[in-house]
Amino acid sequence: MSAPMDRRRFLTGAALGGATIVGASALGALDAEAAYASTRSTLDPGVIESAFAEGRIGAIQGALLVVAGSWGETHKVQLTNATSVWKLRPTSAKEIEIGDGMYGRGVRMPDGTIAADAVWVNIVNLECTVAGIAADRLQLAHDKHAVLGRLIAGTTVASYNGGALTSDLSRLKIGQAVRVLGAWRPADDSVDVAQLTVAA
Amino acid sequence: MACGSTFLWKGKCTWFCCGGGWGPCGATGTGACGTCQSSQFKGAWPNASQACFTITRPDLCGENMPRRGCGSVMNVKHQCTGATVCITIADCGPRTKSFCGATSCCNGQCRTNHVIDLTPAAFAQIGNLSSGHVPAWIYE
Repeated sequence: MSAPMDRRRFLTGAALGGATIVGASALGALDAEAAYASTRSTLDPGVIESAFAEGRIGAIQGALLVVAGSWGETHKVQLTNATSVWKLRPTSAKEIEIGDGMYGRGVRMPDGTIAADAVWVNIVNLECTVAGIAADRLQLAHDKHAVLGRLIAGTTVASYNGGALTSDLSRLKIGQAVRVLGAWRPADDSVDVAQLTVAA
Repeated sequence: MACGSTFLWKGKCTWFCCGGGWGPCGATGTGACGTCQSSQFKGAWPNASQACFTITRPDLCGENMPRRGCGSVMNVKHQCTGATVCITIADCGPRTKSFCGATSCCNGQCRTNHVIDLTPAAFAQIGNLSSGHVPAWIYE
C-alpha cells in the first residue's frame, strides 16, 4: 500500500484543478495536526511553511473567499472539498457569510491564493470573568469590555477544574475565571459559546 | 534569531488574539510588549516581567518558569504530533493562576496548567484553533 498522499500536495492539486475534489480518503488521516506535523522540517523562525489568513470576508466568489485583513492586506482563500470549515461547530462552506470574521490556514499558490486546509469562521478564544448568569446567556468581562455569551442548547459544554467536558453548566458562578471558545456573531457582537474552561 | 532546542518548559498551550482585528479582538491592544499581532508568530509568557508575574502568578499552580522578556524566542512543539512553531514573546499571559489544574491531553498523556498563549497564526501551525488548546513542550 502506498504512503498517504501529502496533504499539501493534495490541496495544491485540488486548487489548481478547480477545487472539484470528490472525497478525500486518499489523504489517509484527515487530521490537520497530524498532516502538518509530517511536513514541518525547520526550526528557523524566518521560514513560514503554512500560509495564514485573517480578516473579514468581503466577498464570496464560488469557492473563493476574498478576505480583508485587519492590517490592510487582502487574502484570497480557495476552499476545496478537503477544507475543514468550523463555525461554532464543524460545518460546511455553505454556512460562511459575507461579513464573517475568519482565520484560515493553507498552502500559498503561485498566484498568491491560499488553498485552505482549514478555515475557522468567527472563532474566538477569550479569557473572561463571569459577570452574570442567565438561563441562556452569560455576561462576561473580557479585559475591560463586556461580552454577551450565548449558551447554545446541545452545543455549549464546559470543563471544570480540568475535568471532562459536560453539558452541565450549573456549576458556573459569578466571579469565576473562564476561557470561552466560541463563535462571534457579527450582527449583534455577541458570542455563541461552544466550550467553557472553568477555573478551580 | 533562530529557535533553539534546549528544553524550557511544558504545559497547556492556548491561543489568544491581540493587536486588533474583528469581533472582540478589535478591542485588544498590542500587548505588554507593544508588538503583538494575531497574524504574526507571537506568544505570551506568564513570566515576561515582574509586573507580569504578579498578575499571572503561575507559581500558585506550581509552575515556576524562568523569566523570559519581550523579544525572547521560543520553539513550541505539539506533544503528540511534533508540529512546531517558532514564536517571539510579545505579551504577558496566560493568567495561569486562574486555571490551576487545567489539562490538555493527547494519546493519553496530559500536560497541566496554562503556561503559554500563542497568536492564531502561530497556534494554527501546530494545531486547530477549534480545539482551543494543545499539550506542548517549549524549547529555546
